[in-house]
Amino acid sequence: MPVDYSPYLFIVVMLVGAVGFALAPLGLAWLWAKKYSPRKPGPGKNAIYECGLESKGDAWMQFKSEYYLYALIFLIFDVETIFVLPFAVAFGGLAPGACVAMMIFLLLLVEGLVWAWQKGVLTWS
Amino acid sequence: MDEGLRSELSKQGVFTTTLEDLYNWGRKNSVWPLGFGLACCAIEMIAASMARWDLARFGAEVFRPSPRQADLMIVAGTVTKKMAPQVVRLYNQMPEPKYVIAMGACAISGGPFKQGYNVLKGIDRYLPVDVHIPGCPPRPEALLHAFMTLQRKIDEQALTGAQRPRHLVAEAPSEFPVPEFGAHDLVPPANPEIWQPPEVVRGE
Amino acid sequence: METLDQIKARVEAAFPGASVEIVPNAGVGGQRSLLVDHAHALDVARFLREDPALRLDYASNVTGVDWLDAVIKEKRKVKQVIAGVEREIEETTERRRPGYLEVVYHLYSMELKHGPLVLRLRTANRADNARVPSLTPVWRAAEFQEREAYDLYGIIFDGHPDLRRILMWDEFRDFPMRKDYVEPDDYEYEPTPHDDVLAKAKRHYQP
Repeated sequence: MPVDYSPYLFIVVMLVGAVGFALAPLGLAWLWAKKYSPRKPGPGKNAIYECGLESKGDAWMQFKSEYYLYALIFLIFDVETIFVLPFAVAFGGLAPGACVAMMIFLLLLVEGLVWAWQKGVLTWS
Repeated sequence: MDEGLRSELSKQGVFTTTLEDLYNWGRKNSVWPLGFGLACCAIEMIAASMARWDLARFGAEVFRPSPRQADLMIVAGTVTKKMAPQVVRLYNQMPEPKYVIAMGACAISGGPFKQGYNVLKGIDRYLPVDVHIPGCPPRPEALLHAFMTLQRKIDEQALTGAQRPRHLVAEAPSEFPVPEFGAHDLVPPANPEIWQPPEVVRGE
Repeated sequence: METLDQIKARVEAAFPGASVEIVPNAGVGGQRSLLVDHAHALDVARFLREDPALRLDYASNVTGVDWLDAVIKEKRKVKQVIAGVEREIEETTERRRPGYLEVVYHLYSMELKHGPLVLRLRTANRADNARVPSLTPVWRAAEFQEREAYDLYGIIFDGHPDLRRILMWDEFRDFPMRKDYVEPDDYEYEPTPHDDVLAKAKRHYQP
């Protein structure tokens, strides 16, 4: 007798199982800690770890703005990789038009890089 | 469960244990040391952690770079008076349960520099030391032996009752006072709650 | 390298009025050294460094020496005429030497591969005027070692760019390498005490 299972039911069961598998040890550990190991916070224990020295000043400090330019340029290559990898995988079955579109996309990114290079962003001062 | 029944069951292929044993078994086989060394003993400690002596056999290969993740402090080397507050502060920042191995003559007593003006006469003046290793420096085997001694000590700790270790007692302190830099010496020169000068008892 | 006497003569010729003295050494090695006065110390140091025949460009070592107040006995043989006969008798003279602190520089030449030349500076006394000019402007390598000499002996180097304690903590007030340093009294038992430690042991653990 064929039973009509919804294919999504298995995903839901797996999801519940996976979440339960992850949470159960955490819950057990929490219960254990509640019963057996008392929390002992303190000013020294909660202090900022500075290799044993007392920390001076604040960790919130300003970064140089050049850093953000670097991050943006990194993003260019990051996005490029994300698009180029599936393109390379499906390269054999692509139409010539798709290839041209990809080349234009790459050209735009390279143009951005060249522009940034011209602006002297890549030289750290 | 009495011992006879347990051994009878294990002959039948049924393994029984107690929660306490299971807990201690897990703890003693995953003691993570804090990754820091103070002097030449640290070289022996590093050697003990590498392939030839292989501290990983005891579950202690993960030298943690942060005290928040460490269970064990191996005080490996000379503790100068300038360094002592930092060592105590690192110990304070470790989460419970935490253990201390004083490695080498300097860490346990000041060693050859005992009468020096800048050397602490043993880290046990400020920290509760679980295992002392003599030697100058001790060989890696001695550190392994100290490890096994510590594992035995962890294994024997009770989970409940009056004999339970410090980290299970809510009132017991987790932090020890950090000595201050004074004009002539550290202030105080020792923590009187955990250390008293040795008494000499002379026989007849 | 030239002999110390030649160097002394050349320094004196280059800086008229400079007081340069050769300190004898009664030890086995007998290595003598050059004692320079404060006013000309920097000039002499620069001369030793720049002079084409010396080129002492490397200050290998800077140390301090503590000389306590001392009574120096000197024996001399004096000829005297006693009862018509000329005889040689020994006469002992005593002289008080006030204490001072001393800085010793060991200088080498990397370029000409010779050395060492030992240079000494002396403070006026051990208490309120323990000052010498710093030679860090001439040899950069002296910076940390002069700081160490300040830390352990309390010698103040005038003209040092950053004279702070280096081994002991900043709040420390004593100078532990001085001979009259009194260490904190926290002796603890040890099985085989000897010398000074034995005296401390007797004080703390009555037999």
